[in-house]
Amino acid sequence: MKLFSSATRNWVKSFSVFLFITLTIGAANLAVAQQKISRHYPAGKNVRLELKNIAGTITVETWARDEVRVTATMDNRKVNFNPRQTDNGIVIDIAADNRGKTDVGDMNFKIELPARSSVDLETRSGQITVSNIQGELVRAHIWTSGDITLSGVSAARVFATNTTGDIFFDGEFSSGGTYEFKSGKGNITLRLPANCGFRLVATAPTKEIKMGPFWHDGMKKMSEGRRIIGDVGDGRASVTVTNYQGTINFLRR
Amino acid sequence: MNCEQYQELLSDLVDGVVSSEDRNRIELHLSGCVACAEVRDDFVAIVGYCHEHRGEYDAVPNERALWLRISNTIEAENLARSPENVPSGASSWFRLMNRSWHLSFPQLAAAVTGIVLVVAIATVVGMRQLSSDGSSVRTAGVNFATNNASLDDRYRQQQQAIAYWKDRVELNKARWSPEMRDTFDRNMTVIDTALNDSMKQLNQNPHDSVSEDILNDALNDKVALLKEFADL
Repeated sequence: MKLFSSATRNWVKSFSVFLFITLTIGAANLAVAQQKISRHYPAGKNVRLELKNIAGTITVETWARDEVRVTATMDNRKVNFNPRQTDNGIVIDIAADNRGKTDVGDMNFKIELPARSSVDLETRSGQITVSNIQGELVRAHIWTSGDITLSGVSAARVFATNTTGDIFFDGEFSSGGTYEFKSGKGNITLRLPANCGFRLVATAPTKEIKMGPFWHDGMKKMSEGRRIIGDVGDGRASVTVTNYQGTINFLRR
Repeated sequence: MNCEQYQELLSDLVDGVVSSEDRNRIELHLSGCVACAEVRDDFVAIVGYCHEHRGEYDAVPNERALWLRISNTIEAENLARSPENVPSGASSWFRLMNRSWHLSFPQLAAAVTGIVLVVAIATVVGMRQLSSDGSSVRTAGVNFATNNASLDDRYRQQQQAIAYWKDRVELNKARWSPEMRDTFDRNMTVIDTALNDSMKQLNQNPHDSVSEDILNDALNDKVALLKEFADL
């Protein structure tokens, strides 16, 4: 017994073949249009990476090798990509390399480097994700829109700023370290160990500052709760959190 | 005693009217001081000459007239040296500084007491002023007029920078992709909202340090964002 007529079966067969061909051609075109470049650089334990992107995601991860691998996937094959190796590390400046070009498109980076590295990342738009860095500096700056996620970070200086987008930090504060988180519109969440110590200045005109388990009576609310200042633990690290139009949340690990 | 003091006694020594003790002391000094010994010799010569030629000079024709002339000369010299004798065109300060002050002890004591009182009052007033200034520093926004003026100045300066960079951005904006234009405008709106909100808060409460900080931050962010996109 046949469920469908032969005309229907022929139509389904023809459509399936058409769909297969279309998808194959589309995938091939996408592969041709996107360019993937991978570069390796020898590095000591304390390498410094500077990356200034125009648009696209930046993902930084650590590995156990004494080398840096930069993998860039770009929409536009004509984009200039000229990493420079310096005495301190590696400098990638897509903005400078492509000055005057109107349609650079997205450029996505994946960077793998030793854990003791410092990273200074900047993009005009796009997301920045940094994992497990334990060097001197972690700076992530998005000029316009994009989320910033810093997890497993234990650096002496951390700066995370954007105009629109969430900021998530999961890490530790070093004694004497400096930590700044600032967003124009988004939620800032700091997930910290229970025994951390820092001096806090948190400012949110929305008055939505949730200290969670880190709140105590020694903390001071200013301007009707739009700013909270006070010490947590030994107060050795300096933490400044500012959010123009979003919330600030403190979570305990 | 110094030479000047010894020389004042030489006339008496020559006249023989000093005590034996003073004579011994003066002689001891003269034996070691050539200058004083020469003065003493001059005195001896003058006195000896006068003694030898006593009665040989002519008497003054009008002794009284002579003394009057001498007296007038001395008075004239004193007048010329007097601090009160100042030129008619002299300034008040010159007159004041050239005036001699003769104060009795009670007057002097009263003047000193007055000066002490004035200094004490000035000190107390100054300390109170300083104390009130300190509290205004500790309490944000107490110095209202100054704060507002500086805030307005900063805002005006930033606005000039914003206008400059905004013009440059507008020149290049046409070359941007629609996505980039949209992203830029959306984020500029976020910063402008923060600016407007903080300005509104400051109008309601000019002492609000949090709003002032947000305003400054947002202004800096706006300039930085415009600068960054002006080069595109």
